[in-house]
Amino acid sequence: MEKALTGRPCSERDYMLRVFAARLREIVKEHGIKYDSEAPIPSDNGLADDVFKAALDFFIEVGAYCKDTERIIKFDEDEIKEALRTAPSQVVFGEGRDAGTLIPRKPEDKTPPWCFLGAGGGPVSSEETFLSLVEGYASIPETNSITTPALTSVSGLRIRPKSPLEALGAIRNAVLAREATRRVGRQGLPIMNTLATAESATSLATALHPKYGLRASDGYMIAIMDPMIVDFDRLNKVCAVLSLGAPVGACFDPLMGGYSGGPEGTAVANVAHHFLAALAYQASWHLPFPLHIKYVCSSPPELLWAISMSGQAISRNTHLLSLNLNYTAAGPLTEMCLYETASAVMAAVVSGLSIEALGVATNKYEDRMTPMEPKFSAEVAHAVAGIKRNDASEIVKDLLAKYMDKIGDPPLGRKYQECFDVKRGKPSSEYVEIYNKVKGELEDLSVKFQR
Amino acid sequence: MLGEAEIFDRLSEAVVAGDTEAAVETAKEAIESGVDPVKAIENGLSRGARIVGDRFERLEIYLPELLIAAESMEAGLEILLAEIPKDKALRKGIVVCGTVKGDIHEIGKKIVAALLRANGFEVHDLGADVPTSRFVEEAGKVRADIIGLSALMSSTLGAQKDVIDYLQAVGMREKHIVMVGGGPTTQEWADQIGADGYARTAPDAVKLALELIKEKKERS
Repeated sequence: MEKALTGRPCSERDYMLRVFAARLREIVKEHGIKYDSEAPIPSDNGLADDVFKAALDFFIEVGAYCKDTERIIKFDEDEIKEALRTAPSQVVFGEGRDAGTLIPRKPEDKTPPWCFLGAGGGPVSSEETFLSLVEGYASIPETNSITTPALTSVSGLRIRPKSPLEALGAIRNAVLAREATRRVGRQGLPIMNTLATAESATSLATALHPKYGLRASDGYMIAIMDPMIVDFDRLNKVCAVLSLGAPVGACFDPLMGGYSGGPEGTAVANVAHHFLAALAYQASWHLPFPLHIKYVCSSPPELLWAISMSGQAISRNTHLLSLNLNYTAAGPLTEMCLYETASAVMAAVVSGLSIEALGVATNKYEDRMTPMEPKFSAEVAHAVAGIKRNDASEIVKDLLAKYMDKIGDPPLGRKYQECFDVKRGKPSSEYVEIYNKVKGELEDLSVKFQR
Repeated sequence: MLGEAEIFDRLSEAVVAGDTEAAVETAKEAIESGVDPVKAIENGLSRGARIVGDRFERLEIYLPELLIAAESMEAGLEILLAEIPKDKALRKGIVVCGTVKGDIHEIGKKIVAALLRANGFEVHDLGADVPTSRFVEEAGKVRADIIGLSALMSSTLGAQKDVIDYLQAVGMREKHIVMVGGGPTTQEWADQIGADGYARTAPDAVKLALELIKEKKERS
């Protein structure tokens, strides 16, 4: 906090354009970091380490920005290295037989990735849909933790930011999520984005009361704004979560095409955001989700490269617990959505990351998500743990050829209610057919599923 | 002294390079040389802005370059517009835009504002977390054709509806076109809250703004 009060004064615009963006461009050149369109999942350890070094130099020089004090927050190399050294190397989430330990992974690691499954805060139209979806997510065998959807209304009223409706929505979100896990007998499952509806610190603090079912063994995600910007409201959330004794998860989404520039800058910025999270948020776990500025998804080859490169940089050089969240352009009941998911999951898992899955159809359309997409993600994630980055890269190239021509105008598929029997929690036969077809195609590409 | 064609080229190049000093100096030189400021804008600054917009669309350049080019364009415009009588104003329309109350995300809105400026709109960007009444007051003050409302979070989307309801309540709804955009917005949502238009991407927002202005002019 002292650094935010005493750092160099700077306008936000100057920080973004003339400090962050300008220096990032130079750092990328100085370290000779180059995107290779032939290798969406690169295998160059030296390059991964260069990305890490570039991120370290960049973060030391540029620092982060505090919106409220309009000052630059800087950390020196010793502080950064100490934060990386003392960051948790494992965290236990959940309770009883549903408890699990999130541990770091390395590139090509056979250790199964942590599967944080669900909707990634995607919007849903009703509490019934919310409950039904979360029951579906909790029923997936590979689920280690739940990522809930976000309610958009409470008792028929559209939620307004910073209003009592937002606080009530956050409470409802917590209660319903826990209830859904109880209904399927997995009440100990950790919910790691329980308060997707709580945009403000007040709403988060309101819903943290134990009577709403949240626990210190859940995870709590708090955003860092692009590019490396924090504010008092988010720092207040950090205080609230730490006072509960719970692990803070920092989420950040450097946009490719935005202030971070191209794939190289996005990879470097993504790594630097981890440093900021470990220092300013005391984050126990990290949730990067770099997205494409135009397509708002993780699926283009440049993005896969940035995910993989930054993942390798982090996993080779630190023990930070990092999970990549992916967004697809296409929606449920489409082959494209599953191809995109497979590509992004593969890029993350073989690079040493765990996964959060996922934001479907750019995570913007109400009810356009089902339990089938995270289930598919988890099956792919377990299947590809341990495969070589080179092999994964070849598979991804085949998958890219199946969807990149449609990325600008993707099929949005169907809503949950249109491709699922909501009461029974079963997918339509049409969806099962598509699911099995794509799985078969991946098997043909040498992906060995466990079931 | 530079010829007309050379001045146009230099203005265009200044915008493409994001060189504000060159844009200002060349705009002054255009005036001193007796070049028609309307032509200097159309064939110089706007040409450069179109080049930058196209490059950004193809992601040959990124957001920082786009925003810096928009700054250069604005600086040159300020000088040239001062020389044009008000009745000959070149503006395609006046836009008041911002990110709605409770939402602090600005990137998408900044891209739209930059592209609108590049396409000849006068843009009043109110920033982020903008109170509902501020949109209405500013739109009235600058006689805005369009109010553009951005929201990135599904939890802040409701504030777009609040602005439209407020306009209705104070009897100003018919005076302004309302466009909505941002992460969670959809055409369905725009229809539901009574917005006049929704665009999925920034270039689409520019096209839509031009269409809606044209329709408005035809109606009046």
